[in-house]
Amino acid sequence: MSRRSNQDRERLLRIISLCIAVESRGTDPFEVEVQEVLNTLRKYLPNWKALEDFVLDSETLRRIAGIVRLQGDWVKRRSTSLFVDPLLVEVKLKLMGTQRLLEVFQKSWHPVVEMEGLSRRRVEQAIDYWNLLASLDARRLQLPEPSDTLSSLTAEELIKRSILSEESFRKTLERLWEELREKVGAAGRILYWDFVQQKTYDETVKRAYLVSFLITYGYATMRINPLEEELYLVPNAEITEPAFGKQALTIPIAIDRETWERRRGNKN
Amino acid sequence: MSEDAAAMDRRVRRAAKLLFYKRHRQPGVRGWELRRTLGEGYPRVIELLNQRLEGLDLQVSVVHEEGTDRERGMPDLDRARFYVTLKGSLSTSDLVMAGWRVDDVAALTVTTALIISREGKVARRDVEAILREKFPRWRVDHNLNRFIRLGYLVQDEHDVLFLGWRSRAEIDEKLLLKLILGEPMKQEKLT
Repeated sequence: MSRRSNQDRERLLRIISLCIAVESRGTDPFEVEVQEVLNTLRKYLPNWKALEDFVLDSETLRRIAGIVRLQGDWVKRRSTSLFVDPLLVEVKLKLMGTQRLLEVFQKSWHPVVEMEGLSRRRVEQAIDYWNLLASLDARRLQLPEPSDTLSSLTAEELIKRSILSEESFRKTLERLWEELREKVGAAGRILYWDFVQQKTYDETVKRAYLVSFLITYGYATMRINPLEEELYLVPNAEITEPAFGKQALTIPIAIDRETWERRRGNKN
Repeated sequence: MSEDAAAMDRRVRRAAKLLFYKRHRQPGVRGWELRRTLGEGYPRVIELLNQRLEGLDLQVSVVHEEGTDRERGMPDLDRARFYVTLKGSLSTSDLVMAGWRVDDVAALTVTTALIISREGKVARRDVEAILREKFPRWRVDHNLNRFIRLGYLVQDEHDVLFLGWRSRAEIDEKLLLKLILGEPMKQEKLT
């Protein structure tokens, strides 16, 4: 990977960041020099070889298209009679004294009227509940007597009671870790859904559950590609210490039956 | 009173209870909740309630999911939120009695006007920079956080401020901007 290519990629990432900032903060879309960006993209295009570079290129183009749309809206807005110049508003606000600001606000402010209270029915329900509630001493009598002797349960008994599975949880995780390492191969990573998706919905949910522990216990790491919006699983060579207490990132992933069916359909 | 009129009267009273008493974390009632309790003709019931509230200087305000009903051609009433608001305005002494400092109201005016004028969103640091010209830093932070807590503002993960549900329910945005723009361009003595 040449240094030049890295610089080009960084340039595109900076352009994407600028576009995102303009879109999210609502600043002037003309801050982005669209023509210059397009020339840059045209210049870089022949040098791209990897798929990721093409994805980056198309993402930049998509962001630029968004900026062009914002510029169009901006021109339309300014050409209407309803447009209010924000700079003029800002200047006026700066010139107004506190008292005048108060007067202006008073005229355009209609506060919500809200009340909090108990209804008669609710009070009656509360009285009934109180009357029917047995005293604490009476309720204590209903609690089962603690057994005289404490004894330990064997593993067989725990399995019989479905508290412990026949295979210990950690062994299951280690087997899954091994499978993950085999599946990633030379790429060193695998798409989260490619690894988690199973033939049945129940198996998929169980696998996703176990994968969450793989990550939490340091067997694997999750990487997110913000451009493709894809999640990747990367197995760690060794078990790393869980990052409890540090500022860890939690990524909720919904696995509903609809998503599972859609992904299964795509796979087939 | 005829039977129909008596039934309508009961529905109006029921509507008043629904709208006045806070049932959720935020006040107001959704249109579909009114439909469920008052029946299909709930807009007519609200209209009658509005007429009765007028004498008390109160009104029923309808706020649609995005902006007010004045801004939309065909509002979806079922998804809108209905509030009882003051029709007129509060005097300065009433405002102070309600726990508002003059400085706080001025800060809220500046913030909401900036957001409205900038297409509904503004970076928090831009608001802070303007407010800090007249108020101390700690007061600006305290006020913005308070406005967010009260529902006047919403802040996203990029520290961008938007108008909250309370601003949309309580502030006549067009009138606010009109009054500000109508101000003469001369500097007032700072208080």
